Amino acid sequence: MNLQEYKRIDIGKDEVLPLAERMRKEGRYLVMIHAMINKEGQPDISWDYAVDPIIESYHVVGETCVPSIGEIYCEAATWPERELNELFGFTFEGLDVSKRLFLPEDMLETQGKGQIMVTPLKELVEKNLGSQNAEGEVKE
Amino acid sequence: MSYIVPIGPYHPALEEPVHARLYTEGEVIKDAEVFVGYNHRGIEKLATERNAIQTLVLVERVCGICSHSHAFTYALCVEDLNGLEVPKRGEYIRVITAELERLHSHFLWLGIACHIIGHDSMFMHIWDERELVMDLLEELTGNRVNYAMCTIGGARRDISDDLRRRLLEACGKLKDILDRITEIALTDKTVALRTKGVGVLTTEDAIRLGAVGPHARASGVNIDVRRDAPYSAYGDFEFDVPVVDSCDVFARVVVRALECYESIKILCQALENLPEGPINLGTKLPKIKEGQTVKRHEAPRGQLSYMLTGDGSFNNYRISIHVPSFKNTPTVPHMLRNNTVADAGLIIASIDPCFSCLDR
Repeated sequence: MNLQEYKRIDIGKDEVLPLAERMRKEGRYLVMIHAMINKEGQPDISWDYAVDPIIESYHVVGETCVPSIGEIYCEAATWPERELNELFGFTFEGLDVSKRLFLPEDMLETQGKGQIMVTPLKELVEKNLGSQNAEGEVKE
Repeated sequence: MSYIVPIGPYHPALEEPVHARLYTEGEVIKDAEVFVGYNHRGIEKLATERNAIQTLVLVERVCGICSHSHAFTYALCVEDLNGLEVPKRGEYIRVITAELERLHSHFLWLGIACHIIGHDSMFMHIWDERELVMDLLEELTGNRVNYAMCTIGGARRDISDDLRRRLLEACGKLKDILDRITEIALTDKTVALRTKGVGVLTTEDAIRLGAVGPHARASGVNIDVRRDAPYSAYGDFEFDVPVVDSCDVFARVVVRALECYESIKILCQALENLPEGPINLGTKLPKIKEGQTVKRHEAPRGQLSYMLTGDGSFNNYRISIHVPSFKNTPTVPHMLRNNTVADAGLIIASIDPCFSCLDR
């Protein structure tokens, strides 16, 4: 049991780049860069490296701006970074975000903060009521 | 003369939404870009509002071809977090389904590759033979796609002795079929002319860009999650990992054909040594314990990774799905460079892409 063991290691923001360089030198494979907002409301970004058969997961908690490792891991790192930039709004220093990955081109108009694809129902109702009001319906 | 040639997003080679922009100099592609994101369904978000059993149903719909891989990997995550010990027979049945799925996926790709290079009789022949695998899957799981074979703590359907015998017989038949297909693929002039030296991805580039699965193995990178980090019952089986280092589309055909043999090898071992006992741990709905885990599975297209975070309730707190195409698609522009526009469709298809998987 517990094959493919998962090892969580907490690191600081400054260690991300040296760590990536060390892993690249050792020929380790970058499995993925994951992120989430944890239960305390803190951003939690993790770099998962395959140190076969273990997965070493390096976490940086509480930072929305971290260095990009795109220089070291190329597209294997920049694609997940661009994804997190679009869908979470995290900043990766040194990452080229002039092109979108998943979201439409006009996402850049929202300063890279992503885009609300579907207008929430509540907002839609309010908007419609607003326009009706403008047309002269009586409402307080 | 230089032109910008747009391809897609509808049906560039496969029925998959991707847009490629080729910067050409005459007939030769000088640079290329790939755009994805046409099929983003927000599955990761949907999963946070579902419990473990409901999520199994949901993640199977991420992909139509490798649906079992998704349910399999998600189940591995939940079992790891909850410390569940899956019965051996259940593990074996999962592996059998996974390998049959690999066979059907590789047959499908080989067929499509032949269709793109204009060898349609071969395409029809391969897809005809693929029906045998599909029939086996239907008999085993009850479905032709979205098998619903995985459940938390084991497999959903048992294999009867009669079915086991027939599956073993079919494995022998599949080997003969493969012999025939590989012979044509390796000796036919049409296949060789259209694929040899086309869409080269060097070993250095494959490592640098993080390619996975058969695509990386066709570029001489010796990686396979089943062997490097065994999971489920894969540690019990003997198999080889075919690696070819000619780095072109032809190598990808060869690797996938050879991998089918290895899948049959695993299938035969699993069916012959199928352990007795229960197939799952019952139908009780588990709570997902607090914690985080990442699991990897060698899907037909390469390494599939799932990250699952639980908070002690029935629902997932966060799940993150990354499919092999996410790793392989960035290599496409590098492969397109210095090839002709006529080969662009074949090169895009040569990674066995699944863009709806990628977009999730």
